[in-house]
Amino acid sequence: MADRRVLPEPLWLPATEVEIHRLVRAAMTAYEVVGARERRGRLTMDRLDDPSDLLLSYPPRVHSPKKFLFPNWEKLFRFRLGGRVQLEAEHTAVPRVLFGLHPCDLHAVRILDDCLFDGQADSAYRAKREASILVGVDCEPDDHCFCTSLGTDRVADGFDLFLHRDADRYLVQVGTARGRSFLERFAPAVAARQGAPPLPLQPKKTRKRLARPAEALVGLLEAGYEHPIWTEIGDRCLGCGTCTLLCPSCYCFTVEDRLHLDLEGGERVRAWDSCQFDQFAQLSGGGEARANQADRQRHRFFRKYKYLWERYHRTACVGCGRCSRECLAGIDPVDVLNRLLAEQDEAAPAPAPGREYQPDLAEVVVAEPLGAGVKRLRLRLPRVPAFAPGTFVSVSVFGLGEAPFTIASGPGDDTHVELAVRAAGNLSRALHRLEPGDTVGVRGPFGNGFPVDELAGQDVLLVAGGLGLVILRSLLLAVLSRRREFGRVVLLYGAASPDAFLFRDDLRRWRQDGVIDVRLIVDGSDGGWCGPHGDVTRLLRNLDLDFPRTVAAVSGPADMYRFTNPLLTGLGISPERIFLNLERRMKCGLGKCGKCRINDLCVCEEGPVLRYSQVRHLREAVER
Amino acid sequence: MKLRAGFFDFTGCEGCQLTVLNLEDAFFDLAGLIDVVEFREVLTGGGGPLDVAFVEGSICGPHEEARLKDVRRRSRLLVALGACADTTGVNALARFRDPEDLNGRVYGPGAPPRGGGRPKPVSAVVPVDARVPGCPVDGGEFLQVLQALAVGRAPNLPGHAVCVECKLAELPCVFDRGEVCLGPIVRAGCGARCPEGGDRCRGCRGLVDNPRSTPYYRILEDHGLTEDDVLAEFRLFNLGEGKVR
Repeated sequence: MADRRVLPEPLWLPATEVEIHRLVRAAMTAYEVVGARERRGRLTMDRLDDPSDLLLSYPPRVHSPKKFLFPNWEKLFRFRLGGRVQLEAEHTAVPRVLFGLHPCDLHAVRILDDCLFDGQADSAYRAKREASILVGVDCEPDDHCFCTSLGTDRVADGFDLFLHRDADRYLVQVGTARGRSFLERFAPAVAARQGAPPLPLQPKKTRKRLARPAEALVGLLEAGYEHPIWTEIGDRCLGCGTCTLLCPSCYCFTVEDRLHLDLEGGERVRAWDSCQFDQFAQLSGGGEARANQADRQRHRFFRKYKYLWERYHRTACVGCGRCSRECLAGIDPVDVLNRLLAEQDEAAPAPAPGREYQPDLAEVVVAEPLGAGVKRLRLRLPRVPAFAPGTFVSVSVFGLGEAPFTIASGPGDDTHVELAVRAAGNLSRALHRLEPGDTVGVRGPFGNGFPVDELAGQDVLLVAGGLGLVILRSLLLAVLSRRREFGRVVLLYGAASPDAFLFRDDLRRWRQDGVIDVRLIVDGSDGGWCGPHGDVTRLLRNLDLDFPRTVAAVSGPADMYRFTNPLLTGLGISPERIFLNLERRMKCGLGKCGKCRINDLCVCEEGPVLRYSQVRHLREAVER
Repeated sequence: MKLRAGFFDFTGCEGCQLTVLNLEDAFFDLAGLIDVVEFREVLTGGGGPLDVAFVEGSICGPHEEARLKDVRRRSRLLVALGACADTTGVNALARFRDPEDLNGRVYGPGAPPRGGGRPKPVSAVVPVDARVPGCPVDGGEFLQVLQALAVGRAPNLPGHAVCVECKLAELPCVFDRGEVCLGPIVRAGCGARCPEGGDRCRGCRGLVDNPRSTPYYRILEDHGLTEDDVLAEFRLFNLGEGKVR
């Protein structure tokens, strides 16, 4: 008879309020019907004698269906004394309709199912559960409800019928085959009606809310076992047990014999008990496992939000608010848990998921052409970036994406970084369109740059090809800021044409000041150029450096390295002292995405500046 | 093996004995459990040995103490029946009055002194084996205690507070009506009869074994009660308990 199978296709049938009451009246011929009603001026969940007593709209403060599915004082079996002891089973459960249960209470029935059907199923509960038809009805949360935090403000199954209010009528959602036959039997007109489209159900709004999803509570409590908050609420707690008695999912019980006065027989009954009571966790040798109210309140919270979650993957709390609504001491689970959550955040702020991918917003301060289709962008970041020359930032244009750019400026430029951007793809073209005052996203700086301190005291040879100058400019600015610590500094810079030299003002100034030796070369012929022609390796020929104490920094197109590397080692600079820029399309900058890997080397973490000795054995390093 | 039982009244209103006499429905079964051999309200005679003595009322003055000691001497078990016997009940209020003035107010000016002295609970005079609390006692609870003694089991009173029975009866909290209530610290067993009837719990059954006084006082203070108000609230039924001995 108990066909509690969920219907494969949801069925939504319109019905008027009159038809609902008629359904109740008809059902009373075959079932005991229980619902919210007023009795002597107060609301109770109780047996209906008159269908018109049924309230379908009532505040969430009446008893839960636990009162009928798992009643207080439930007979388990009867015994007769007088002569031989005889045991008699309890009668079968009364067929009953629980009419008008709020979504949270339907969720609570599922928790009772979890706990009481686990292992050897509790047959007394099962009998009542199977003999009971559950009819849900929608509700309005009050100030104590926090169902929205636990996802119990709506219910998708676990009922036979559910009544949704829809303007001046109801839509009856049929949940199970049993619900459908119940409707066919007692409200055939409704059952025969054309199905309506399902109501689009919006999540409800509650004033009380947990600051985090329920999943966060397990770890929170795990870490909070010794927290002083348990003593605090223990000191406030009266131990009256109201919280557990009214809880729709608390079911702990005690078992007692009730002897008839004539001593001829009696029954063994179970009665609701409470973990908040003295002697609940009594030990056989005397004493109690949870001897004070702090231990007992902690146990209640752990059971609700941790222990049963770990077992059934559902919090054993449905956010109905009964415990806080009726607690004289004002112990409110939302307040307790939110305070623990707030303290946890303070101690170790949990980053918002995806935070490391979220750029800071930077303002464009300068956007000027550098020539040869390259633009200089000077960005103001929200804080001073810490970086070594040779590292990079990831720049976002929202809607187009993000790309890495090596930093062209030196460290110690307050909150600024400069980039040299060639218009090559969508994103870099968008960067070219930026004006001062525009905003871009910036992550980083990321990566490993030149070890400037290690370079101090040596001669420094910089070899740049084309756009490769960008990263070396950063190094040069760092070196020049402490020029006296270095020996000779020589920049060899090759470009495809005289127009293609970047940062000309810098080059001119350095040359004029004589602080470094700048040597330029143009590949191919051009009428206007009176300097040397050819590739940059030609400039390596006439160098009068003390090579054994020279370090080299090389940055340029991949082909260039293949010629310069052997030449530099040939000059006597050891591979450990040759630094190469191996930048790739570094996507995440966090060593995760895998796009910048060269064999097993992660460029964004270990590079982009790498020693020749680190990469010369890597087959995938095209620069080796 | 039926118990030989006696009922004894000391200073009190005899309402607890009346409650017992009102248990007509249970008389047949009771007759199977006990032989009532002494009961001034319904029987004459007595004076022999007893299995169980039910003592009602507070103990006032040397005469009552002597009588009680005699009852104790010839009874295997002695039960304090009702608040007056159990905790001194309302009789304890006499402590706030001058005995002569009180005597005059009750029995008329110039009435000869009764020599009652300060009322005491039974346990202040003789050892007590079991208690049936309440003003008056709950008939059902009296039967349970009696039954426990008949089968040789220690009777146990509910350990929890009246709040529990209030919630089970789905009664709205008295505090919600803006009144204070002793329910959170008073022993259950009455079925929250007073809140059910629209009153508040005045504590006639005495405190639970382990009343959470500190949080309770805090709640009373939150509801605007002064220390005097709190004391006045307790005084009605809970003055004598544990303080007279």
